[in-house]
Amino acid sequence: MNKTTEQPILSVRRLKQYFSSGFGKQKMVVKAVDDVSFDIYKGEVFGLVGESGCGKTTTGRSIIKLYEPTDGEVFFMGTRISAGTQSLKESIKTMRREAHKQLAELTLQEKKSIEEAQGNEAKIDAIKKDFEAQKEEVTKDRDALIKNIKRDIPNRKEDTGKPNKELMKRMQMIFQDPIASLNPRMTVKEIIAEGLRIAGEKKDKEINIQVNRVLETVGLLPEHASRYPHEFSGGQRQRIGIARALVVRPEFIIADEPISALDVSIQAQVINLLNDLRQEFGITIMFIAHDLSVVKYFSDRIGVMYYGKLVELASKDELFKNPLHPYTKSLLSAVPLPDPDYEKGRKRIKYDPTMHDYSKELPDLHEVKPGHFIYANTMELEEYKKVLK
Amino acid sequence: MTKDAKKLEVDNLTVSFRTTQGLVRAVRGVSFDLDRGETLAIVGESGSGKSVTSRAIMGILANNAIIDDGRIIYEDEDLTKIREEDFHKLRGNKVGMIFQDPLSSLNPIMKIGKQVTEGMLVNGHHLKNKYKALVHPHRRKILNIKDDIKKLKVQLKKQIITLKESDKAGEIGTLKADTRRKISALKLELKAAKSNYRVKCKEAKITVKKDWQQEKAKYAEKIKNVRAKISGTDEDNKKAYRKEISLLKEQCRRYKKVTKKEAIERAVVVMDEVGIPEPIKRLKQYPFQFSGGMRQRIVIAIALTANPDLLICDEPTTALDVTIQAQILELIKKLKAERDLTVIFITHDLGVVANMADRVAVMYAGKIVEIGTAQDVFYNPKHPYTWALLSSMPDLTSKARLSAIPGTPPNMLYPPKGDAFADRNKYAMEIDFEEQPPMFKISESHYAATWLLHDNAPKNIEMPEIIQERINTMKARTKKEVSQ
Repeated sequence: MNKTTEQPILSVRRLKQYFSSGFGKQKMVVKAVDDVSFDIYKGEVFGLVGESGCGKTTTGRSIIKLYEPTDGEVFFMGTRISAGTQSLKESIKTMRREAHKQLAELTLQEKKSIEEAQGNEAKIDAIKKDFEAQKEEVTKDRDALIKNIKRDIPNRKEDTGKPNKELMKRMQMIFQDPIASLNPRMTVKEIIAEGLRIAGEKKDKEINIQVNRVLETVGLLPEHASRYPHEFSGGQRQRIGIARALVVRPEFIIADEPISALDVSIQAQVINLLNDLRQEFGITIMFIAHDLSVVKYFSDRIGVMYYGKLVELASKDELFKNPLHPYTKSLLSAVPLPDPDYEKGRKRIKYDPTMHDYSKELPDLHEVKPGHFIYANTMELEEYKKVLK
Repeated sequence: MTKDAKKLEVDNLTVSFRTTQGLVRAVRGVSFDLDRGETLAIVGESGSGKSVTSRAIMGILANNAIIDDGRIIYEDEDLTKIREEDFHKLRGNKVGMIFQDPLSSLNPIMKIGKQVTEGMLVNGHHLKNKYKALVHPHRRKILNIKDDIKKLKVQLKKQIITLKESDKAGEIGTLKADTRRKISALKLELKAAKSNYRVKCKEAKITVKKDWQQEKAKYAEKIKNVRAKISGTDEDNKKAYRKEISLLKEQCRRYKKVTKKEAIERAVVVMDEVGIPEPIKRLKQYPFQFSGGMRQRIVIAIALTANPDLLICDEPTTALDVTIQAQILELIKKLKAERDLTVIFITHDLGVVANMADRVAVMYAGKIVEIGTAQDVFYNPKHPYTWALLSSMPDLTSKARLSAIPGTPPNMLYPPKGDAFADRNKYAMEIDFEEQPPMFKISESHYAATWLLHDNAPKNIEMPEIIQERINTMKARTKKEVSQ
């Protein structure tokens, strides 16, 4: 992977997704995704792991625009597909506040200077004029800046609000629960063809050809098309879900825990299928899961999430060889292996989020080593660098 | 592990379900035994009969289930034969169970406190229990006689049919008369037993009542004494005395039954034991206010309130993610050591099995296909299904294509004639489709049901390379750790 030259197929920049509930005193804001940035390059599998409730599914759903992001931007194939406005609004607020402060200060200085002038009319006039000019400049600056920012808000809203159908067609999602995500009243053909119809395909003949094509790709038979989802086993249902995503020939698939609801012997079938698709069609996959051994097997790069934050991001070998963040270490130590002797002596590392001292400096995502990012402040960063050496 | 300390013996257990399509043979002759303080893990895909086996042990099979054959011996009693009423004493009190999905096994509109204490309160009427214990043997006598009569009738019908078939119709009359005589004798006995039962009931009622009244009188005396002291003392002393009185009253109530206060006190202790912080505050909350791991802890706490000594865990970590799973597994291990529990652990995650189990039973299509110690099954697997299971899950080091098991498990409405795994097995031989393989002994503790172990089987079939490789790396890793 030559990341430096290649343009990412998807870049997420400072994505935030907050959910608020209640009003007034009872208002609660859940920061499901909080300031997450990463790039996904063409043809790779990007794994996103973390415990349940850490926001990995929300990240996927925000990217595919099932939610409107609170803040941050998502670029897909070079085009901005969604953007939040919270940071802009906040920056306008802070600008206003600062300008206000500056004006107040200027008035104070003016008063002082007038007092110093001790009734000298001409001097006072000059001072007044001088300060007025200064004040005007401040307000002008402020208005210009705010206007600039404000101009961006409708842009962002437009990008978010009106999806570019041609572009969004190339991004598809596979859902976790194959039972809940298929409409029980629709036949397999209807389920798969729905995406095609929305994408503008009207000819029945063409739709039939396409549906049969994807059914074959995912290892089902054309005669399955007229059946209903309940007639299939779990693995087959997940194949239908994959077929539905594939029918519009996407280039990027978000797979949200596609195997965690499946039986052990079926899991391997689905992983193999996804692997084949990736090799055959060069599809880029964002793979969301909590089973680390599967993620390790399937992904090229892995991002670890913890409570809405991306805490570590590295290639899989790097991550498993040199896990830096204590949460990653704890996660890795919890993976069960089919090896009784090893398991009996396993020591689980516990992660305590209060172990970080962020009182002096707030942490951010830093690159410790080419391709290896970690969420830390400068002090911790030094330590991590020492560990790497 | 001493051989004579068998906790549980399951022998040739066979369970079927009546459905509109026919009999579903969920469990087809499962045998295993459990030593005291041992953990047995049962592995298999969904539908392999592992949950049905555990439910049969708990006696909570669905109404349409039939136990066709087999025995479950627990403390010298056959659990398949004993009555529902006798089961009440075992279920929960001796045999506890933790269910799979903590969200659906808790009542969403009931506070946690009520759910944890419910069992204690329902089973906690000491006087009623005493009465039941006094009366129960007499009641059982009646039921036994009734059973005998039923058996005689059934036997008669069968005999008549056989006689008719063998053209000895003349003997039917004498046989009928004979049985009728026996039955009438039994009926007399039954009458006597019934009247005896009524007398015994009255007696028991009186003894229990007497006992309770004595106890009540004792406490009344004590309370009276304290009351006498109250008058004429100052305010502080009065308070202390009043407290004493209420304490005595509570003790008196506790003699009668488990009071709410007592139940909550015990619940707090148990919840503390399973690692729930601030149990007193948590008791007043609802299940939705708990995270997945905490919910599972509550379910474990509910199972533990009755002090069981055999714990059945039915996929307790399947709905949880890795870190929480590791915590719950550690908790179960800790409790097992502290309370000397015997555990049956049902799961389909082989990693979890390696962590928990002393012995492993691999189930497929209602049969145990391989059973042995964890070392046997993981380092020296013999059955093709075990191979397939082991090689179908990715390891942290694996890079090659996963070898998925083709096809799906067989429909148990029509159980296959030969080896159930033969259709999906690439090592299947002709005999696998014809005849079911018996259990072959590999070592003292290790058995597997596959024709590959027969003397006439081709010798060149070995386990797949992936597994061999993995076992080698595992062994190397353990060695390295030991040397370190």
